[in-house]
Amino acid sequence: MEYYIAIASIIGIHAMLGLSVYLVAISGQMSFGQQGFFALGAYLAGMSTALWGLHLLPALALGVVVAAVVGLLVGFPALRVRGLYLAIATFGFGEIVRLAFLNVRYTRRIGDRVVGPNASEGFRHVRYIYDRGITPLEYLGIILLALAVVVVLFFALERSKLGATLRAVEEDEVAASMVGINVTRAKVFGFTAAAGVAGLAGGLFVHYSSYIDHDMVALPLAIASVTYPIFGGLGSFVGPLLGAVVLVGLTESLRALHDAREIIYGALIILTMLFRPRGLVDEALVLRVKGWLRPRAVRRPAPAP
Amino acid sequence: MGTALFDGTEQLINGLMYGCFYALVGGGFTLLFGVLRRFNLAYGSTIMAGAYAGLIPVYLFKAPVLVLFVTTIVVSVLVGLLVEFCCFRFLRKGHELAPLMTTIGMLIVIDETIVHLTDAVGLKYPAPFGDESLALGPFLIRPDYLAILVVSIACFSAIFWLMHRTRFGRAMRAVAERPEAAQILGVSVRRVNVLTFVLTSAMAGIIGFFAAVSVGSARPEMAAWLTGKGLVVMVLGGLGSFPGAILGGLALGVLEFEAVWFLGSSYRDILAFSILFLILMVRPGGLLGSRPA
Repeated sequence: MEYYIAIASIIGIHAMLGLSVYLVAISGQMSFGQQGFFALGAYLAGMSTALWGLHLLPALALGVVVAAVVGLLVGFPALRVRGLYLAIATFGFGEIVRLAFLNVRYTRRIGDRVVGPNASEGFRHVRYIYDRGITPLEYLGIILLALAVVVVLFFALERSKLGATLRAVEEDEVAASMVGINVTRAKVFGFTAAAGVAGLAGGLFVHYSSYIDHDMVALPLAIASVTYPIFGGLGSFVGPLLGAVVLVGLTESLRALHDAREIIYGALIILTMLFRPRGLVDEALVLRVKGWLRPRAVRRPAPAP
Repeated sequence: MGTALFDGTEQLINGLMYGCFYALVGGGFTLLFGVLRRFNLAYGSTIMAGAYAGLIPVYLFKAPVLVLFVTTIVVSVLVGLLVEFCCFRFLRKGHELAPLMTTIGMLIVIDETIVHLTDAVGLKYPAPFGDESLALGPFLIRPDYLAILVVSIACFSAIFWLMHRTRFGRAMRAVAERPEAAQILGVSVRRVNVLTFVLTSAMAGIIGFFAAVSVGSARPEMAAWLTGKGLVVMVLGGLGSFPGAILGGLALGVLEFEAVWFLGSSYRDILAFSILFLILMVRPGGLLGSRPA
């Protein structure tokens, strides 16, 4: 049972990372730096509870706010460049954050433990949920509750004018600016909000694992978070959720195969991209499903010419 | 001469020599990007696969270093062709993210295969150039760095000759410029793509050899390290500009060596990425590139 709780917790946290990349992607950008915001959220939230004695909720909120503010500061200059340039710029940002945490030492001795970011040794002993007697199952509930809030926000966003604006920017930036959309504002908004979501995922993660270090927020995490939305599909927020569930679930269920499971994982990504280059839940599928869900009366045949 | 100035000069020489190595890595990424207009994130893994495969004849038959060197190149070319076949050939056109993802998939497959086969431990590499430092006037230089300098200059000359003096080079530049127009004029885009993969993968073999020699072992972290450095160099020089990649590589080499000497080794990588970020913000086209469209 505990094993399944652990997997579900990881899926919930990684789904948030996938949604974070997705939010950048629906305005036509690609970020390889969300793990940097994840790290910021994790370190800030972890320091809040472990060093400053805050309650979990304000700690998570602080992580989200700091990640979002940094996202705003990075987003303004970074979003001047596009496409593959932005992918590299954001990866550069992620590495800067990671290497900064590799060098930061801010510790305090609490009891017989050294608590706080301790450079290359990582940030140990974030024992909030153990000290409060929160069980893993209860903490899974907290993760899923947070994920539910994020998903509801995404659901609302996709139906709002703002969501349409972001999609319009993805389709054609010039056309979007011609109809009066402030392209820069839309992109920076998407980037900032996405940074906040990644920060939330980080804050939840550090309390789940009680530990984080710079190695955990390196290139593999960047690759994983980008893989969920691209594999799952960029047509709807269901895509990254599906991607996280399938890919994390798959790696876990193939555990019996040991190292071969990673090879299967890579091969599966290649095959999926060959057959569905826009991911499992692509725009065409979303339109078709919307067609099924629409009341029949609306689906009139086109008038004869 | 003051000590700081002396040390600075010595690090400048080392940095320029090691920068040639970075220039090779960035050059490989750049050539692929220039022709295909796509990133090949599996390039670092291609390099690593070659470096590991080169050790097979050494461990089995105690083969000389020359055999090792040739094996790295041959295996890298084979892996490169595999990457082209699996990740690019059958991909539908018009999806920018799909090739990024397929090469990531390939990166995972290659890296995990190597980790699986070697239990993730670094394998000792022979030191064909010895480890006695050479004296160049008052300065001490590493012999393997000197070898890197010589080989990379040979490599760059060969590539410039290939690009500007041969039919293949002309076809390659035509495809890089405008693939459709080149196709209409009778250039086989697929052939150029495959040959570009052969060329860059052969470079990958050379890179893999020197990467492993300069560290003293073939290690599973190589792929991520080389990919990071390659992307930095490629952006520094301007995407798709080969002379830019050489300049970017030299600049990165010098900056890193000076930074390690004067600031300490923990700042080396953070400096590289900060420069990358700044360059992208201030000069998005890189040092020699034009502004991106």
